[in-house]
Amino acid sequence: MSQWLLLGVNSVSLGGLLFLLSAGFSLIFGLMRIPNLTHGSFFMLGAYFGVTLLQLGWNFWLAALVAAVGIAAVGGVIERLLLRRLAGQELAQVLVTLGLSFMIADLCLMVWGGDPIPFDAPPGLRGALPIASIVFPTYRLVVVVIAVVIAAALWLLLERTRLGAMIRAGVDDEAMARVTGIRVSRIFTIVFCLGAAVAGFAGVIGGPILSVYPGLDGDMLPLALIVVILGGTGSLLGALLGSLIIGFLYNYGQVLFPELAYIILFLPMLLILLFRPQGLFGRHVP
Amino acid sequence: MADDALSLAGIDAFYGDSHVLQGVSLSLAEGHVLGLLGRNGAGKTTCMNVAVGLLPPRAGRVSLFGEKVSGRPPEAIAMRGLALVPQGRRIFRSLSVRENLTVAARKPVAGARHPWTLDAVFAAFPRLAERQRQTAGYLSGGEQQMLAIGRALMSNPRVLLMDEPSEGLAPQIVAEVMSTIRRLKEQGLSILLVEQNVKLVFDLADDIVILNSGRVVVSNTAGELRAGRIDLHQHLGVF
Ligand SMILES: Nc1ncnc2c1ncn2[C@@H]1O[C@H](COP(=O)(O)OP(=O)(O)OP(=O)(O)O)[C@@H](O)[C@H]1O
Ligand SMILES: [Mg+2]
Repeated sequence: MSQWLLLGVNSVSLGGLLFLLSAGFSLIFGLMRIPNLTHGSFFMLGAYFGVTLLQLGWNFWLAALVAAVGIAAVGGVIERLLLRRLAGQELAQVLVTLGLSFMIADLCLMVWGGDPIPFDAPPGLRGALPIASIVFPTYRLVVVVIAVVIAAALWLLLERTRLGAMIRAGVDDEAMARVTGIRVSRIFTIVFCLGAAVAGFAGVIGGPILSVYPGLDGDMLPLALIVVILGGTGSLLGALLGSLIIGFLYNYGQVLFPELAYIILFLPMLLILLFRPQGLFGRHVP
Repeated sequence: MADDALSLAGIDAFYGDSHVLQGVSLSLAEGHVLGLLGRNGAGKTTCMNVAVGLLPPRAGRVSLFGEKVSGRPPEAIAMRGLALVPQGRRIFRSLSVRENLTVAARKPVAGARHPWTLDAVFAAFPRLAERQRQTAGYLSGGEQQMLAIGRALMSNPRVLLMDEPSEGLAPQIVAEVMSTIRRLKEQGLSILLVEQNVKLVFDLADDIVILNSGRVVVSNTAGELRAGRIDLHQHLGVF
């Protein structure tokens, strides 16, 4: 019994990490129409930045924040120098971002080597928390709380601020938004950097669960894609629910049907693509 | 002589290979309403697109109060005081009514006589105030037109472009839109008004320009044209 509950906690915490990864991917694709295949690299690079800062003796949370800022900068450079020139050319964007992800993977291999680098949760959160006779891994619960807080913050930013309204206006009618005086180009850069930052942050806080290793990017990117296809692009709620679904399928699937793990992950995606291509919660514009 | 509020001088504009505006020149005097007429496809909307910076002209110059703005991006031209109520209204459909207005808000230039704020727009269009939390895509056509006008005013423009504001609206709403334009004119706003409805334009405009196949064929004061020495039907088709 408690084993299943534990699996549930693991599912929810993986879902939380997946949300942080895929929220940015979903917004960037939903709002800017850029299929950003470097998003998994942002996650991995964030984790490497973080682990390096930890090895220098930094505080865990500070390391995660600084890594996020670093990844935002990397994302900003990529968006401004490369993707900006390829506006509207989705195939070129796919190829460029895929190529970049291979280059980033190579660079990481060169700098951080081929072995996995495990890193610890912050002191004080490493143990387990007994709740009603079941012991929960404390850190995973913290990850869930962080994901919920970031989800709420992103939602407030998009739906309740003037900047969020400007972002949505740029999506509704880019030309008219510009004529209205909204600097759509700058706003889209902000969205891209924000999405990259959250992915980089997720890489660090996911480190104590997943560690960081060459190939982490390629493990995470397909999960983000499935989440976004399930939930619908450009929808935070969709990303959140898609992440939870995948979190559960991943964990329970591996225990119940270990030899079918990929089928269990990808089958829902195929079904959604066939029967509800806008995803469960795709953006609806009247 | 003071600079015109808005002037297009010798504009050549293309969509791909098609030469849509051929040496178009027109000027809107400060505080005036300039009516821009022409058949379907004459190039009226294209003039608007050139003025706001969406379609950079291949030759010619657009100036706002004497300052050259052609070649600048749309958002920069908007900052200099040009606002558009576009054909088809083009409100931000997924935003609320209130958000449509707030995203457009800009500080008025120093000395503006009638600074537009959210409250001022709501006072001018009470129906928008009632529906401020609604998603704009669900408004009626007339309400969307009010919202498009309100959105343009929120930027506290010095020059307002209006592209067929009466299109597809019930007569009663058209009358309301027209009285709004008259009020804006009384407040000293310079307005370039594109209309199919010739009578409306002659009611409001000080000056008239008629386009035909991308060229200016008539440019005169409304008074001279009312006096009837020019055959409008020849240029505008049947009305
Ligand atoms: N985006 C575009 N691409 C190519 N051609 C266009 C485009 N927009 C307009 N045109 C063409 O340019 C010409 C002028 O169009 P424009 O929209 O300026 O006319 P208009 O005077 O505003 O007409 P209407 O009264 O129907 O709004 C037309 O022949 C039209 O078919
Ligand atoms: Mg038109």
